[in-house]
Amino acid sequence: MSVHEVKLCLLGDSGVGKSSIVHRFVYDSFRPAMTSTIGAAFLTKTVIVDGTTYKYQIWDTAGQEKYRALAPMYYRGAAAAIIVYDITQESSFRATKSWITELQKHASPNIVLAIAGNKLDLDDLRDVQYSTALSYADKQGTVFVETSAKSAANIPALFMEISEATHQN
Amino acid sequence: MSLSDDSMEPLSPTLPWDRFQNWVHCICVVTFDLELGQAMETIYPGHVKLTEKEKMNICYLSFPDSNSGCMGDTQFFFRIRQCSGKKSSSASYKEYNRSCPAALQTDQGILYGFVYFRQIRDKSIRRGYYQKSVVVVTRLPMIALFSHMAGIIAPGFFEHGETSLEAACHDIDQWPPPIPGNTVNLPIMGTVVQVRINSRSDKVIGMPQIKHTTPLMPANNVLPTINEVDIFSAFQPVLPHIQMLWELVLIGEPLVVMAALPSVCSNTVQALVSMIWPLKFCTDYRPYFTIHDSEFKEYTTKTQSPPAVILGVTNPFFAKTLQHWPHVVRIGEMMDATPKAFNKLKKAGGLKTLDSKPGVYTRFRPYLSRDKTFLKRLAKGIQTKRPVEVQNAMMKRYLLELTQSFMIPLERYMASLMPLQRNISPHKGPPQLRAFDSEEFLKTIEHSGPQLTSGLKGDWVGLYRRFFRSLNFEGWLRYRQQEVNQKLQAIHVEALCQADLMAWIQDKQEVEIVDLILRLREKVVSAHNQKIPISSDLVDKLNTHIDSITATLPSDLQTVLKSS
Repeated sequence: MSVHEVKLCLLGDSGVGKSSIVHRFVYDSFRPAMTSTIGAAFLTKTVIVDGTTYKYQIWDTAGQEKYRALAPMYYRGAAAAIIVYDITQESSFRATKSWITELQKHASPNIVLAIAGNKLDLDDLRDVQYSTALSYADKQGTVFVETSAKSAANIPALFMEISEATHQN
Repeated sequence: MSLSDDSMEPLSPTLPWDRFQNWVHCICVVTFDLELGQAMETIYPGHVKLTEKEKMNICYLSFPDSNSGCMGDTQFFFRIRQCSGKKSSSASYKEYNRSCPAALQTDQGILYGFVYFRQIRDKSIRRGYYQKSVVVVTRLPMIALFSHMAGIIAPGFFEHGETSLEAACHDIDQWPPPIPGNTVNLPIMGTVVQVRINSRSDKVIGMPQIKHTTPLMPANNVLPTINEVDIFSAFQPVLPHIQMLWELVLIGEPLVVMAALPSVCSNTVQALVSMIWPLKFCTDYRPYFTIHDSEFKEYTTKTQSPPAVILGVTNPFFAKTLQHWPHVVRIGEMMDATPKAFNKLKKAGGLKTLDSKPGVYTRFRPYLSRDKTFLKRLAKGIQTKRPVEVQNAMMKRYLLELTQSFMIPLERYMASLMPLQRNISPHKGPPQLRAFDSEEFLKTIEHSGPQLTSGLKGDWVGLYRRFFRSLNFEGWLRYRQQEVNQKLQAIHVEALCQADLMAWIQDKQEVEIVDLILRLREKVVSAHNQKIPISSDLVDKLNTHIDSITATLPSDLQTVLKSS
């Protein structure tokens, strides 16, 4: 059985739910009140997809502006990155675009990029249309899903897609 | 997709900085201020308090002390005394100290500082230079690990400033505790450093048994060791004298290493101290020592004979201040690719300025004859450009075997001081280890001395006699006695548990029975305080004994016992 080691980092604006997504993925639970991350949190998780073991080394970076300059340390050498935005906040989607541009320029050339539109549970307050985000992601050739760390919607799907995509590299 | 069950959510989240303190005391940034000189710029995390004296020592020790102008980046380390009254926090290292090798234990009131110093031209600064140091301060003598960490943390700080330091400290606050025998993954600034923590039960000779207690992780950085330094490179300028240096370190003679750079002197001092591994070097040593150090007067006074410490210095001023020291190791800059491997031994009192040649300046006459075969092997390695790693491994092995040859007779004698198993009685007090008698020991080495394992000729008895007067011997003896006494206590408890105490008390007076109960209780308390290493099974048995014996007593006495 093959074992795949994956360094993954999460990027995106403060408060979009990066830590909640990681928490849901690693512990399969949700905390309504998460403290804001300092620098970056480090977690590991092993999953098996189609008989392949993926050992994830996850760097969940802080979204606050003051840590912005540290981001290259975390995405350097990463096999995958998830850029998270909040579907109820247009500005966080705009930030996603600048992250994608930066990663395409400075991260390793075969990095798997994924965009996650989080807080799907707040669909009533939606500010970013699904089709808008999807067409952007398609153009950039990234994985795209809308997720809810709260309800767990699409979190397994997100990591399954990333696992498969990193495997092809 | 199936999820494996290796990721349980931590039940009780630890408090911030709890885990951090397992590894690091604090991280400091020291800068050069035009008015003040060296000054403390930042201490992180902010709640860590350092006394003024500690701050001053850290400040001075974080900058090169000589005019050799270390341009660019330089790494070195130092060791300082912590001010008294703040030693209690080392209690958190109890677990670690119990199962790590003696030489890697933390010392009460001692801190290590791992310095990364940067000096570059910067026209925007009035002085024309940017001069700053990042210092990782810790109690753990894990030289290789923390040098490596300082090499990751400091460049991050120089590039991104304080937020990067905050992030680094937060990473450290997520590290698993340092448990001897474990291979740990230490995330730091986007990378993961993997290292195995030495355990007391590691085999001393041969490869350590690698047991992976944590799942293997994608580690970008695997460190082969937490503590070892490159001793071959450190001693290259004085290779012919390594055996003499080993004797000087073993018997705890005052030694000073003079070098041009702090990186060289700190490495050499560490190499000296590690020569007697696995024996612990028990006196003070300062890989880097400056004229501003708070122990400067104490250590350089001419009114007493030099203290039994090892100092590493770079300031030429010391050549004069320490003129009266009996042994000086002078290390030149190691840029020289073809060192003179067989330089002569220098007589002390001769040339002693910092410009003088590399060598060992001493009047000391080694007890053991020089191992020419080994030196030839090393010299041949230099000629044939054998890789440094191989030379280093050869030298380590040689020193280890030498130390083992010296220590095995002592260990064997120590074992003979153990009381015989059949003399251990549940109805007497715990057996005592017989006292160490140096003359008795010296009689044993005639037939079972170091000559059994070492080909070296010489005055081994003389070397033992000198060793007995050293703190290294005292430290070793105390450590062994403690270990053996604990073991004896444990064996005694076991004997107590197995004894048929109910039968024994049949014909005993009440007072004897009460005495027995009190003794049993004492054992339970000692076991709880971890003074006696016994399993919880045995503790349960003790408690059962106590209960059933107590039940045989009159009820009024039972009440008294229960309330006491």
